[in-house]
Amino acid sequence: MTTSVTARLHPGALPRGLTLAETPGCGAMVKFEGLVRPMEGGRAITGLAYEAYEPMAVKVLEQLGRVAIEKHAGVMQVEVHHSVGFVPNHGCSFTLLVAAAHRKEALAAADFFIDEMKREVPIWKEPVYADIQQ
Amino acid sequence: MAITVLLFGPLAAAVGARSISVEGGTCGEVRAELAKNPALAPALKSARFAVNQAFVADSHPVAAGDEVAVISPVSGGCL
Repeated sequence: MTTSVTARLHPGALPRGLTLAETPGCGAMVKFEGLVRPMEGGRAITGLAYEAYEPMAVKVLEQLGRVAIEKHAGVMQVEVHHSVGFVPNHGCSFTLLVAAAHRKEALAAADFFIDEMKREVPIWKEPVYADIQQ
Repeated sequence: MAITVLLFGPLAAAVGARSISVEGGTCGEVRAELAKNPALAPALKSARFAVNQAFVADSHPVAAGDEVAVISPVSGGCL
């Protein structure tokens, strides 16, 4: 089975219409979008500022995609997009797309990927508080 | 050997710089040198080293030309 992994960083908020091209044999496509919420620790924010060790972040995202495919038989494609820079409230800063033969492995691979990403990928976020002059 | 260590996120904010030069032959020695900086010491405890864009243990040697970075706990995504 042919598999593929794609990882990209983007300046600012991600477009909301990202999707995968048709994949032969795919019976399930999972799309997760991480959205910036307007509160952080009880304080209003205007958005989140993301910083990345960019070349390593892309490498680690690609590695995690390959591991997600290895650990979840039937997963064919993993595509991940992450923002760098400022993303305003309600904007999308992270999109994960997983294509698999069946639902269970698509959902499991997506969950696995997000858990690992939050531990391993060198990306940091800082809230931009609404009550602080920038 | 003089090593330029890349800093990001909270560590970069702590010293107000994106890199810092220290002496060291292993990542552990570099960590010990960085820990002498009071601005860095607290965040260093939970930081990991990356050499040439891959996480390594403190025992990992550093060679001339290596790209060394200190990675504090990450926070990608939104949650």
